[in-house]
Amino acid sequence: MHIAEGVLSASVLISGASVAAAGTAIGLKKIEYQDMPKVAVLSSTFFVASLIHVPVGPTSVHLILNGLAGIILGWAAFPALLLALFLQAILFQFGGLTTLGVNTTTMALPAVLGYLMFYRLVHFENKVINFTGGFLSGFLSILISGILVALALSLSGEAFIPVAKMVIIVHIPIMIIEGILTGFVILFLKRVQPELLRRSEK
Amino acid sequence: MKNKDLVLLIILLPALLFCHKINIFATVEGNKIYTQSYASDGNKIKGGLIEVYDKAGNKLLSGETDSLGVFSFTIPKKDDLKIVVIGGMGHRAETIVSAEDLPEIKSAIVEKPQQKQKEKKEGIKTPQMETAAIDTTFLKKTIEDVLDTKLHPIIHMLAEQKEKRISFTEVIGGIGYIFGIMSIIFFALGRKKNV
Repeated sequence: MHIAEGVLSASVLISGASVAAAGTAIGLKKIEYQDMPKVAVLSSTFFVASLIHVPVGPTSVHLILNGLAGIILGWAAFPALLLALFLQAILFQFGGLTTLGVNTTTMALPAVLGYLMFYRLVHFENKVINFTGGFLSGFLSILISGILVALALSLSGEAFIPVAKMVIIVHIPIMIIEGILTGFVILFLKRVQPELLRRSEK
Repeated sequence: MKNKDLVLLIILLPALLFCHKINIFATVEGNKIYTQSYASDGNKIKGGLIEVYDKAGNKLLSGETDSLGVFSFTIPKKDDLKIVVIGGMGHRAETIVSAEDLPEIKSAIVEKPQQKQKEKKEGIKTPQMETAAIDTTFLKKTIEDVLDTKLHPIIHMLAEQKEKRISFTEVIGGIGYIFGIMSIIFFALGRKKNV
């Protein structure tokens, strides 16, 4: 879902960049000293996840994992994903430097929304609820990302409804896969490394 | 109708959506330019919109790629040509063919305008049929055409090799960068706390 350079209009680029800048500022402010390694790990997870293509039928899919980054990092997902997207842009020309803000917003904003909506579920003493929290944040992050991508494209000329439909329909399998994966990661972390999921915000 | 569209969508679009980047390569052969567009995972861009601009930014022609991601056109004029492929969904790539790489095309157009027309119609679907266009009048031209045909696969191979594929070292390097930059922030945060 990286948007390439030269596709979006200036106003979309600027608003995307401002949202990303604001989110990153909040994220950096909220990061606790001891959370930095966690941010680095999830940033590199996101960086690598979208490079690994798994062939499925006639095409190939890759994980996005912004929901996972969101549920674990909260607001720190903004700086984490910004850094990963920046490196993808300069190393592989995915997206681009001018669209970095928009791409960060489309990826990190849903991640933070997922966190705000579901992090409480992760802290219940019930595995089914924990899993559901992970699943929903993984699933909905991609759904909202798709809607934001469609919105960015539609504000720059493409018709919203068909674009949104396309983006969402094609991402349905990955939404489900990522939902399940995020759910299991949450369960796994709760069992072996519960402090990773600790609420670091005051 | 709607269902049919939907099925088409599901079959054709994943290739476009799941890639991060699309590429376009242009090679000059005789008086034509061949372009090939594909996604970063190797899938061909089918039905991508190709637009050709001159140096001044005027749109000279446009067309769609075929099922192999190929679109070819007769060189419209000797100028730096910017070829843009638009894959939809925020995917776009461009390449520039500089004027020095283009042959003198004036004579070619005068020589066989009819055949050109024909080529233009058929060329989009079967660019390999270029062989039919050998002009026997001029030996030089003939040789050029034969060479073009022979070199066609080689030029394409070279063009494909020019593509930057994701290398393992870059991925590892990227992870290193992330940890490095995070450590700098870590350091900065830690210092602030100590003060």
